[in-house]
Amino acid sequence: MLGKTLAEKILGSHTEQKDVAAGDIVVAKVDFLMVNEALTRIIPILEDMGVEKVWDPERILVVNDHWAPAADTRSAEMHIKSRRFVKDHGITHFCDVNCGIAHQVLPEMGLVKPGDLIVGSDSHTTTYGAFNAFSTGFASTDSALIAATGENWFRVPQSIRIDVQGQIPDMVMSKDLILRIIENLGSDGANYQSIEIHGPVIDAMSVGSRMTMCNMGVEAGAKCTLMTVNETVRNWMKTRASDVRWAPVEPDQDAEYVDQITLDLKKDPLEPMVATPHSPNNGRPISEVEGTPIDQAFIGSCTNGRLEDLAIAAKIVDGKKVNRDTRFIITPASTEVYMEAVKTGVVETLIKAGAVVTNSTCGACIGGGLGVLGPNEVCVSSTNRNFRGRMGHPDSLVYLASPATVAASALTATISDPRSV
Amino acid sequence: MFDDDINTDLIIQGRHLTMLDYSEMAKHTFEILRPEFAKEVKPDDIVIAGRNFGGGSSREEAPAVLKTLGIGCVVAESFARIFYRNGFNIGLPLMVVPDISSDIEDGQLVTIDFTEGTLTIDHSRVLSGEPLPALMQEMLEAGGAVQMYLKRK
Repeated sequence: MLGKTLAEKILGSHTEQKDVAAGDIVVAKVDFLMVNEALTRIIPILEDMGVEKVWDPERILVVNDHWAPAADTRSAEMHIKSRRFVKDHGITHFCDVNCGIAHQVLPEMGLVKPGDLIVGSDSHTTTYGAFNAFSTGFASTDSALIAATGENWFRVPQSIRIDVQGQIPDMVMSKDLILRIIENLGSDGANYQSIEIHGPVIDAMSVGSRMTMCNMGVEAGAKCTLMTVNETVRNWMKTRASDVRWAPVEPDQDAEYVDQITLDLKKDPLEPMVATPHSPNNGRPISEVEGTPIDQAFIGSCTNGRLEDLAIAAKIVDGKKVNRDTRFIITPASTEVYMEAVKTGVVETLIKAGAVVTNSTCGACIGGGLGVLGPNEVCVSSTNRNFRGRMGHPDSLVYLASPATVAASALTATISDPRSV
Repeated sequence: MFDDDINTDLIIQGRHLTMLDYSEMAKHTFEILRPEFAKEVKPDDIVIAGRNFGGGSSREEAPAVLKTLGIGCVVAESFARIFYRNGFNIGLPLMVVPDISSDIEDGQLVTIDFTEGTLTIDHSRVLSGEPLPALMQEMLEAGGAVQMYLKRK
């Protein structure tokens, strides 16, 4: 029998047959379902299906995060519907507009554990791969089927294995690494596939930095992005879910991969990367775009709105001022992140430098509010997508970069290398 | 006809997603690339695209607005995975035909045979698509995933 990849092992353990291989179409039982405002679409589907009670009210998280607090009457209506649904179905885990972004709050609540199969009604659900969980984004109909039955069909994905050797230099971040990886893969380089990321660089990473990478695997089309458990994940589980039993999942030595890539950062050092408009796969070394004038610098989103992201920004702008030709907007990924940033003085440093710190929400990343771009405006952003019109006007331009690069750029009103400020 | 990498933001922008009425939202389909699209499209028209159609956000609104406009089928060289699921889930037929972009021009008459998995251009040239997995065929025949669930229940 051939060895198994992480995806084959985790997905297989949730099926009746247990032994599954890439290419199989299987029915799997899901451990947890996350739904955001897509719930507005899911409710009528459940009604069509004649479902009166969800499969397990303790294994669903309902989050109002995309337009929080409501940005207009339409999003307000969506939130009314989700609140009513939570009451009607007795949903245990509910995050209203005061919590933050789903992909940050679900792990914070201790609801993700290694080996889990998690589905969310959002493409960036791949984020929980950082916790050794097979997690993937579905849309409304698939989410409704899971809400009703706790299961759905999956095609077991083939896997690409990436090993990262060496180390990441100062002021360079995991965002730069994933921008380089998805530039190599292209927008559909991992379509339908699982990306496994291994190696000493990943083992040494903080939980937040790992989440950034797994979050953006979907920008290469991946169904999931998976890592093995490291010390920082163990500590996270101890603090967040001390009473939960779990076991780490490792791929077999002889697992079969469609591609194996080694990135040696000693031989080929990692530089700050910037993805130019209009694709996250347009990653370029910062030297190629340095000096591009910007109207807005944004740090936030499920990709890079965590404490370490805000902290490095504060370190860069400490005692300095945001350039008058730009504006610096910061949206912490969750209220917990926000509070920690207040406690540690990060928020004060940022505000003193001239930044605007907003409540926790998806906000500007989806053009939903709190930093929407006007015609011909240019933004350097720590978010995940720079598709045309994503953050506002169809004629606006978005450059994706690490929080360090965004903060450095806020000081000069041009795209700037964080190693040089 | 559309290029490679048509992502779901290009099919329907995020800022329109709060509209609850699909027929209202559908007026904004492909707004950035072809503002006239929603007005000019006719029932059973076929959308042809290159590689990786429907990448990006998981929004089911993307196939839903196409279905609302009466699109008969989307034919592409490949589909992003979530869009592919969503299409069949809501009963919007999708077909993978390698190199379709180079074989066809805007405005040509296309006939599709799902059981045979073939596409005919102007009654003359026949191209073969990739065969549908059995599950997808069952779903299409049922009219979508919800209908299939109700049938199996």
